[in-house]
Amino acid sequence: MSARRQFSLAARSLLAASLVLAAFIGLTGYALERAFENWAFSVLRERMQSVLYSFLARTDISVSGKILVPEVLPEPRLERPGSGLYAAIYGKDLRWESPSAMERELPFEDALQPGEMSFKGPIRTNVGGVYVLSMGVLFEARAPGGRDARVTVNVGENQASVLRQIKAFRETMWALLGGLGLLLLAFQALLLRWSLRPLRDVERDLGYVERGVAEQLSGRYPVELAALTSGLNDFIKGERDNLRRYRHTLGDLAHSLKTPLAVMRGLFENEDNARRLKQAGLEQVARMDEIVAYQLARAAKSGHQTYAAPLPVLGHAEEIAITLEKVYARKGALAEFDVDPKACYYGEKGDLLELLGNLMDNAFKWCRSRVLLTARPIVHLRSRRAGLLLRVEDDGPGIPEAQVSEVLKRGVRGDERVQGHGIGLSIVGELVASYGGELKVGRSEQLGGACFEVVLPPLGG
Amino acid sequence: MRVLLVEDEAPLRETLAARLQREGFAVDTAADGDEGVYMGLEVPFDVAIVDLGLPKLPGLEVVKRLREGGRRYPILILTARGSWEDKVEGLKHGADDYLVKPFHIEELLARMNALVRRSAGWSKPLLECGPVKLDTTAQSVTVGDQSVDLTSYEYKVLEYLILHAGELVSKSDLTEHIYEQDFDRDSNVIEVFIGRLRKKLDPDGSLKPIETVRGRGYRFSIPRTA
Repeated sequence: MSARRQFSLAARSLLAASLVLAAFIGLTGYALERAFENWAFSVLRERMQSVLYSFLARTDISVSGKILVPEVLPEPRLERPGSGLYAAIYGKDLRWESPSAMERELPFEDALQPGEMSFKGPIRTNVGGVYVLSMGVLFEARAPGGRDARVTVNVGENQASVLRQIKAFRETMWALLGGLGLLLLAFQALLLRWSLRPLRDVERDLGYVERGVAEQLSGRYPVELAALTSGLNDFIKGERDNLRRYRHTLGDLAHSLKTPLAVMRGLFENEDNARRLKQAGLEQVARMDEIVAYQLARAAKSGHQTYAAPLPVLGHAEEIAITLEKVYARKGALAEFDVDPKACYYGEKGDLLELLGNLMDNAFKWCRSRVLLTARPIVHLRSRRAGLLLRVEDDGPGIPEAQVSEVLKRGVRGDERVQGHGIGLSIVGELVASYGGELKVGRSEQLGGACFEVVLPPLGG
Repeated sequence: MRVLLVEDEAPLRETLAARLQREGFAVDTAADGDEGVYMGLEVPFDVAIVDLGLPKLPGLEVVKRLREGGRRYPILILTARGSWEDKVEGLKHGADDYLVKPFHIEELLARMNALVRRSAGWSKPLLECGPVKLDTTAQSVTVGDQSVDLTSYEYKVLEYLILHAGELVSKSDLTEHIYEQDFDRDSNVIEVFIGRLRKKLDPDGSLKPIETVRGRGYRFSIPRTA
């Protein structure tokens, strides 16, 4: 585990969602604001244009060529000083300004060509930023020979109202977007709580198992967690089985030692003949030694194979062969291999070494000079995991037919003088049984001596 | 034969040492791994017995360091666990044989004798050089058909010479391999033993089994038969 605690799933998810949401809301707000601004200004311009046109429509030229400004202005705001809407007509001998524009220095145009239009703004004035729409107009003479009048019509509007609109829009928009964002985050948090609840359930159920309230994770879990929880259940079961086996082995060991201990106590208390005491004592020691060796071997094998990684037989067999060739060097015996490199053992390394070690040690002990190890994977069409065939043969005297069944009877014999009766082979028997396999004993076809064959079946399918 | 015994459990170490001495071995003992390595590198042993579960330095490490230090004498490891994983590890680190506790001392003696013989290039327990036969299991010597009566020190000297038959063996080799560390060494004693051996093996002076290489030592000069 790293020194720094990892972010929780909920924190990661919320952090990511908040970042995305912030970016999304920010960009949306910016775009909306820009769009509204554009729209507000185009509305402003249109309004100014319509004021300008209606102003023009009411303006006329007298027969004498004088511009007649309308008596009633098209917009009441033009009458009111300080209303923010201004109009002005400038011509050759004419300077007319709407009452609203009185006393204000406004940047009006006064010499546009007829038909020319200009829109400017915002221009800073003594009444704030102002937009100005100007148009040059030619009024043609009413009477033949009369004079044309050339004027420039201006409409100005203070930007304050638009800015107010934009500000109002902005405030409303951000309030709404912010609210929406908070709502989404809250929803996300709820969603997370809901979707992570099964994990908390597993945690709680594990707590029950730890405290011994429950045997297994027994809840119904969503499909994504099913593999995890069933794996956990397998582990829990494996641990429980192991514990049970250790307890049994320990119990067996303690109980089976009590008998020889009782015998020895009796001897020490009652036997006065030193020679007889020594002999009987040694017998009991040998018995205790056998018991301990047998129970140790039973405890050592794990039989735990649910998630075992595959161990290639070849490398481990070579290690054992090198060891045994060294130990039996005085005999000059050699191990020959017929090992498929694909042959794998699914289990504890210690178990594989016990299997190979005991079988090959037995063969080295009884052979004249040759030991043959054969290993093959056993593959069935639908099996998830290949099985394993191990065969160890020697060119020694072999095991008489009549004794074969006796060799296969499990349990401790510890008689090293008869092939197949040593403590090592009883360990092999126990191991093979715990892996659900089969141990066969016979005569070697190739070498003529004994042949021990272990078949560990494929799994699944 | 000089043997190093590295075993931390005092009763076992003492019983074993006493028995090995009775069997004619010169025994040096060490009670932990560090001491074992120190002695194993200092003294030219013929064989070492190393327990795997040692204080200060594990037995495997002792074996490894002795081998790294260039010591080639055979090493037998003692293990209480007896799992194949341990055995394989032990021999991988340079040990030559193993014995699982508890064991019979006879088994240990047989294995040690076999290891010493093998490392000297003999394959059988009966060492034969022409008419001279030395039985390492019975610790008896015959010349032709005549059995020869030897004291235990005479036997030790002869065994060492015959094990290394054909090779030059110096007086200090002999004292180092026959006496324990604290023994008061006097090389004159070796000369006395050699003289007696010559008389006993070759009363009429026709065989001349032990050659003196002036100033350097001795050589058992009858070639090995088997």
